[in-house]
Amino acid sequence: MYLLVILIPLLSAVGSGLGGRYLGRKGAGLLSSVWVLASSLLSLVLCYEILINGSTVYIELGRWIESDLLITNFGLQFDMVTAVMLIVVTTISGLVHVYSTSYMREDPHLPRFMSYLSLFTFFMLVLVTSNNYVQLFIGWEGVGLCSYLLINFWFTRIQANKAAIKAMLINRIGDIGLMLAIILVWKEFGVLDYCSLFSALSPSSACTWICILLTIGAVGKSAQLGLHTWLPDAMEGPTPVSALIHAATMVTAGVFLIIRSAPLFDYSPTATIIVGLVGSLTAFFAATVGLVQSDIKKVIAYSTCSQLGYMVMACGTYSCIGSLYHLLTHAFFKALLFLGAGSIIHALLDEQDLRKMGGIIRGLPLTYVLMLIGSLSLAGFPYLSGFYSKDLILELTYNNYCLISIYWLASITAFLTAFYSFRLIYLSFVSKPNLTHISAQHLQEADWNLLGPLLVLAIGSILVGYLAQNMVFAPGIRPLPLVPTMVSLAPVIMSVTGILLVFILRPYIIYYIIRPSIYGFLFYAWEFNQIANYYIGSTVWKFGHIVSYRTIDRGILEILGPTGIARFMIERTKELSNLQSGLLFNYALMILVGTAIALKLFSGYGI
Amino acid sequence: MSYLILSIVILLIGILGIILNRSNLIIMLMCVELILLASTILLLFESRVLYTLSGQIFAIVILTVAAAESAIGLAIMVNYYRLRGTIAVRALNLLRG
Repeated sequence: MYLLVILIPLLSAVGSGLGGRYLGRKGAGLLSSVWVLASSLLSLVLCYEILINGSTVYIELGRWIESDLLITNFGLQFDMVTAVMLIVVTTISGLVHVYSTSYMREDPHLPRFMSYLSLFTFFMLVLVTSNNYVQLFIGWEGVGLCSYLLINFWFTRIQANKAAIKAMLINRIGDIGLMLAIILVWKEFGVLDYCSLFSALSPSSACTWICILLTIGAVGKSAQLGLHTWLPDAMEGPTPVSALIHAATMVTAGVFLIIRSAPLFDYSPTATIIVGLVGSLTAFFAATVGLVQSDIKKVIAYSTCSQLGYMVMACGTYSCIGSLYHLLTHAFFKALLFLGAGSIIHALLDEQDLRKMGGIIRGLPLTYVLMLIGSLSLAGFPYLSGFYSKDLILELTYNNYCLISIYWLASITAFLTAFYSFRLIYLSFVSKPNLTHISAQHLQEADWNLLGPLLVLAIGSILVGYLAQNMVFAPGIRPLPLVPTMVSLAPVIMSVTGILLVFILRPYIIYYIIRPSIYGFLFYAWEFNQIANYYIGSTVWKFGHIVSYRTIDRGILEILGPTGIARFMIERTKELSNLQSGLLFNYALMILVGTAIALKLFSGYGI
Repeated sequence: MSYLILSIVILLIGILGIILNRSNLIIMLMCVELILLASTILLLFESRVLYTLSGQIFAIVILTVAAAESAIGLAIMVNYYRLRGTIAVRALNLLRG
């Protein structure tokens, strides 16, 4: 059963990928949906065994790398962290599969799409269930590959191609960090599987470096500040892809890596503070950018970025379980928000611009309710799932031993989060209609294949926070922050203020109270893309062209290599053949000189 | 000994004549004759010194060869003159390397 959970998505991917032409669109959708849903049911059973009954499972599958002192096997490890991730991955993935069968119904390449989705689920499961770093790396690269394939699903669009390449390349920067971390772990401790590593840990300076490199890996995959630019661009893919990959699962892989390596981070306070700072800055940055975006998917993408910042920040307070908890609740409400946005986009005939929406509450009441639940949960409204996890993280940061600035950044972010998520609701549903005539006429709810997953996710985003807290925190000690009453009330005040402010002030107020320069600065995401393109991209490009291409490849190597030798030979032979002038007396002189030299040379041999 | 020096001097005159001569092909042919003459003198001198006949036999052979060679050479020259209208050595540079 433990193996089945992982293998079913792979079978589904192979089935609908290779057999797509025989199954047809409906067949492939049905097959992969049913199989991945079966996998998610199995994972629920596993979670019953692992989380509630507390039985960790360890499976050795076979031998892989055996070299001198390094032994790394294929193996699976189902412990608490893995169980929570299993729920997240398989549940969200199963629901997205069902959703896609409706959302992508008109697409001729549905079997390919389903195959990629299932393949992605498989790689994500490999990532979370592996018992060593090398096998984790297979999953890590696999999800990167699948994200490339899925962002690039409509491969005829140039923007989709560019976004996919960008996602792949920026992820690769983080991957180099992870690879170096793995190499350093091997050099320092000689083992790569978690059990041996975490029992062999000892405080050493290498721990700090390993942790920093792991953080770089997480920064790339989880879109933290600096390497976050791929995440908003990845919205070029279809909406279910954004929901599956860029909200619930793939981006959480980086957080998962930090949670998995928590014992390493315990030995390195420096790296932990760096993680906390990176996380809090990312949360704050993405929240400010989310305030002014006009693309409905970009708003949600930046909120994903911001919430990932929360998770990483929680890891920076020595509270990885709190981070895992937020990961679980976030997966539900963020998938809900993305799929809800997909429902809006679907109803408005592929219109993504918030400024061209408004007033669709009349046509899409159910979607409105679902989006409202998702947004309230994201804003941390009391007694929804986002509240439990976010409140906990905020209090943990206040209680932390290191930097209080992290707490302030996180609190402001909580306020901004409430503001921008309700700005989205207001602009799309409540305000005056700005629709085109055609889309206003077509405005109607989609079928139940599309709304069913949304309902499940809405129930999840209401209940998961409450239901799961005892399961997630059961094995460890639940962190109980000791904070003043004001601090424990602050997140609720922040979020309610943010929500009310939208409806009192109207979101348009942002246009008027912010100077245009600041508005542009925020709209272009703090100019990160431009700065990276100008200072890093073009510099590297110029270096590549001038130094490596023109100076080395076509310069030094050409002169020392083929072209230079050929030219040298041609010139020397020309000079030699110029000796043969065609004039008879010159030949005679040559013969004389040659004879003289021959006589001189051969006189020694007795001739 | 003086015969030896004589033959070497004639040989050198012949070779230098070929090398330094820039104008006339007939002079070149004459210089070739001079070289052959020098070798004949050398062979005769050697046969006199060593008391053998082979030197003189070779000298007679060389005389024959020289006669034939000068005949063929002159014939080539006449034909060449007919074609080109000049027999200047300077003009014989059609076969450059």
